[in-house]
Amino acid sequence: MLKFEQDRSKFPEEKDGKLEIDLDSQKFIKIWQGPNHPGITGNMALELTVSGDEVVESKTHVGYLHRGFEKLMERRKFIQCFPICIRMCVPEPDINEYCLAASVEDLAGIEVPDMAKWLRTLVLEMARLVILLRGVPGQGGTMSLGMGVQWGVYVRDLMIDRFEELTGGRVYHMYIAPGGVRGLLPEGFKGRMEEVLKKIDEFVVDIDNLMFSNAVFKKRTKGIGVIKPEWIEQYSVVGPNARAAGINRDVRKDYPYLMYDKLDFESYVGKDSDIYTRSRVRWHDLQTSVDMIRQIMAKMPNKGDIRAKTPNVLHWKIPKGETYQRLESSRGEYGFYMVTDGSAYPRRINLRGPSYNSAVLLLEKMLVNANISDVSSMMVSLATCPPEIER
Amino acid sequence: MENIIKSLEEKFNISEVIKKSDNLNILTVDKKLAMSLIIYLKEIEKFSHLVMLSAVDWLEDGKFQLSYILNNPEKKIDLIIRVFISREKPEMESIHKIWVHAATDQRELKEMYGIEFPESPRLNDDFLLEGWDNIPPMRRDFDTLKYSEETFFPRPGRQTYETKEYMKEKMYPDEKNSKNKKGLKDA
Amino acid sequence: MSLKDVLLPFLAWGKVFKNPVTIKDPFNDRPGSARYRGFHKNDIEACIGCGACEEICQNAAIDMVPVKGIETKDGDSGLRPMVDYGRCCWCALCVDVCSTNSLNLSNEYTWVENDPDKFRYIPGVDKKDWDNNELGWKKPENYDLNEPFRIQMEELKPEKRDSSFIEFVKGYSKEQAEAEADRCIDCGLCTATCPAHMAIPEYIKAIRNDDLEEGLRIMYETNPLPEICGRICTHKCETVCAMGHKGDALSIRWLKRYIADQIPESKYKDILNQGNDISPKSKKIAIIGSGPAGLSAAYYLTNLGYKTKIFEALPEAGGMMRYGIPEYRLPYDQIDKDVKYILSLGVEIEYNIKIGKDISLEELGKEYDAVFAGTGLHLGRSTRIPGAEHENVYFATDLLREISLGNDIHVGNKIVVIGGGNVAMDITRSLVRLQNQKNIKVDVTATSLESEDIMPADREEIDESREEKAIIDPGWGPKEIEIKDGKIKGLRTIKCLSVFDDEGRFNPKFDEKDKKFFEADMVVESIGQGMDLTYISEDIKTMVKFSDRGRIIVNKDFQSSLDWFFVGGDIIEGPDVIHGIANGHKAAKGIDKFLNK
Repeated sequence: MLKFEQDRSKFPEEKDGKLEIDLDSQKFIKIWQGPNHPGITGNMALELTVSGDEVVESKTHVGYLHRGFEKLMERRKFIQCFPICIRMCVPEPDINEYCLAASVEDLAGIEVPDMAKWLRTLVLEMARLVILLRGVPGQGGTMSLGMGVQWGVYVRDLMIDRFEELTGGRVYHMYIAPGGVRGLLPEGFKGRMEEVLKKIDEFVVDIDNLMFSNAVFKKRTKGIGVIKPEWIEQYSVVGPNARAAGINRDVRKDYPYLMYDKLDFESYVGKDSDIYTRSRVRWHDLQTSVDMIRQIMAKMPNKGDIRAKTPNVLHWKIPKGETYQRLESSRGEYGFYMVTDGSAYPRRINLRGPSYNSAVLLLEKMLVNANISDVSSMMVSLATCPPEIER
Repeated sequence: MENIIKSLEEKFNISEVIKKSDNLNILTVDKKLAMSLIIYLKEIEKFSHLVMLSAVDWLEDGKFQLSYILNNPEKKIDLIIRVFISREKPEMESIHKIWVHAATDQRELKEMYGIEFPESPRLNDDFLLEGWDNIPPMRRDFDTLKYSEETFFPRPGRQTYETKEYMKEKMYPDEKNSKNKKGLKDA
Repeated sequence: MSLKDVLLPFLAWGKVFKNPVTIKDPFNDRPGSARYRGFHKNDIEACIGCGACEEICQNAAIDMVPVKGIETKDGDSGLRPMVDYGRCCWCALCVDVCSTNSLNLSNEYTWVENDPDKFRYIPGVDKKDWDNNELGWKKPENYDLNEPFRIQMEELKPEKRDSSFIEFVKGYSKEQAEAEADRCIDCGLCTATCPAHMAIPEYIKAIRNDDLEEGLRIMYETNPLPEICGRICTHKCETVCAMGHKGDALSIRWLKRYIADQIPESKYKDILNQGNDISPKSKKIAIIGSGPAGLSAAYYLTNLGYKTKIFEALPEAGGMMRYGIPEYRLPYDQIDKDVKYILSLGVEIEYNIKIGKDISLEELGKEYDAVFAGTGLHLGRSTRIPGAEHENVYFATDLLREISLGNDIHVGNKIVVIGGGNVAMDITRSLVRLQNQKNIKVDVTATSLESEDIMPADREEIDESREEKAIIDPGWGPKEIEIKDGKIKGLRTIKCLSVFDDEGRFNPKFDEKDKKFFEADMVVESIGQGMDLTYISEDIKTMVKFSDRGRIIVNKDFQSSLDWFFVGGDIIEGPDVIHGIANGHKAAKGIDKFLNK
């Protein structure tokens, strides 16, 4: 649906598959969007070569958030790893904790008690809500529909209050540790959670009216930012981006972990893989999460052990081995590859988030021939999270 | 799954198979046959999803281990292919023509470990570090503690006392044991 | 684009009339939740300074520093954690691992300060507003990062063990020992309390790494009698173990026994690698007594290169270890294992020779360059109540010696033991076994001045005696032994209300009206041990200084005022094996210093 194809003279010529861009010819301008830019989620830079207001070439520059966590974790014992691995994906931190705990438990051969599994499932779904409540209205925020974002931030704050009550922290929870979890539900938690879920239900109706039934939003998102079908395999697209293109990939259904096989939910599979469909897929995920939290709180037992017996964590040696553990984050398949060598420190921990592929090379491909004003919304629609690209 | 692995073992001279669970197996293959194995897996066995390409540094053996994690989305099985390459002159064939996004992985491995992947696009562009002039930092012989103490200036004024030594000085300073063992760290 | 799409967004105008949701005064209206991880607070009285928090902190934010006003003593290192908030990430791992639950987090989260160095503070010592907050992160119930309870060792059941003298505690298997060694947090409080200052965390680490030869080497640096101490040491280390505050103390004594049990005596020489590269010295040292002090002195002097000779009055080596402790607690072959190794290093020994009778102390002083006396407390002490002179009233120490020598002793049908210490329990349980062996119905009663809660014997000894069907009836003071027609009829006692007065001195108070009569035909007195110093002749007595209570005064090298005469062991420190070993080691160093002056 590109409307500006009339005058081809402003496009660069292609030679050997590469675009020849002569900056002195005054046909092209290089614009840096980022790293500190309201149109970027996190800290990432897009180097755009623009002709008129159409992007001709783009390069993604990352590295502003490199904290070297993977190297740091090689110097820490297994129990000391979880406070830092959390900080690798900032908006949704519990997925890191769970992946680390699952890898350690898999390699050490420890079975976590049932109550801990229910609590972990609850926390993962709450984390999904926390990121989606701001992320999906954020799609409208890239087009200046800031009202939805502000409402979303309020409801997200209520959910973060529940996190604070359960885990002791608001943004970084440090709740899932290798061996189990770190506390039971406090008194009256289920009642307060139900109030928050009711507020989320009202919020869903509000956003449906404000954003998804909005003529301007539809005009600016339908048919834009299309992921072509052959790209899915070439770029290993996962999660909501793949579901919007018609391919049903959901780790919770394909490789059930924790208590997801006891819960009842459906994934939304779209057809035109444009920005509008991706937003609707994630919106459906949000409503499914709310429903799942209600199911979890109804099915959860009232008491039980929250931690399995582990050796003394100050000198816990894990036998040599490798494993790969994955889960479904709000953006797609998220996994840890862990290698141990028989000592008390891990040999290699490698984290792979979906933004590693989608925000670097897929975005570069998608941005060609896009209008400048759509750059930001395309990036947000791919659910970019720069901290997980560079760890 | 076992059938697939059996046929692979014969064709590609797999040196080691570790079965982690029903849907995760770890294969070790020689460097020369790795590329053909990966192409075979993608085209014939439909392992069309490359999850990640990672590297592990085995300093004491003098090798790097490259791990290709492949996934078959229909049958829902995973394979980790391990390839050992030498640490002195590390290089491996690039797979960016099979999966376009592997170019990013290879760029990061070049920067972090120093492994060459000839013809991979934009291989020498800085990915995560800018202006780095030391050895590739993820290698085990790079000591991050030493580097940070030399480069940055920690706030002075911290001193710690070890319990055993302190109690010895306070409670029985005259007695000297033949060996003075400092407090332990398991490693 | 339908009309709905144009009009529906205007429903947002409905929110114009709603109240804003901002909190007006967040500092006061919005405290942290009950589980919030805020700033640290520490109860410095309860904290023992073990350093577990420093070890687990993942960003090296905690330092252990000395605090003015807190002294270092047994079980408390005197150090307290100082937290650096420039590095802390508030993960609360330090709270989860704290051995005494003294370190906690409050729910306070704002702190404004002009001086950045104040953000390194010692919680509990530097007073802050949140020290009294009740809320904040606490370690959850039943949540422990290491196992709080001890792995139990197998024992023979009472029915199987009460008629024989075989050792009834079986020892750890490999898995049990590794699981028990895993509980240690390497704090080091035990080393300071052990009289011999054994490097305990190091040999526990050797068990964890399955490196038993290294463990043996570490033990022999400070203690040459590991098989013996591994069974009967008074384990002062275990009373201060940091894990004791959370659950059970680590079973350090049994772990020591595990290491020594696994290695046969034939391999000791290779592992310990001694006697090879020591330059021999020309001086000779005589050692009187082959108890723990004497053996330890001989071992360390031989390692320094001296020639030593031990003079032992009894037929076999061991002193009170062999002749005072029954075989079911400390089997003779284990004593032999330790002694044999020490003798194999070149120590000479002569048995059945009594100093003062067969050879005098002056002769020893002339022939040898120094003399170390570790003669021990082999004499019993009497209650001196009327009737105690009867022939069927015995001292516990005499009876135990006779049993160890293999002689038959008189075993009555109803026996009363006066005393509440470990020796009383030893003789009680030995007499139970002898009664079973002679097919007499078991009837042994032990009674003591102290009531049950302050009885000096170990809890396990009291419980196991009762399991073996002895009767323990504490809290009675002996008054008179009733004798009729030349035979003992029984022991008359009165109720003892208290043993120590307010100043801690021995001053028992009785209630004359509350009487109890114990029927007996044999009475054993076990109220204390005395020393036999007859080998010190009158001439030497003038040169040696004594204290008012009759003990020899020694300096910290265990050298008496007669410069070649060194004394150590029970006669200086009271009855305790590990003190004897420590004394022997220090005396060996003292002799070395004296001879090289």
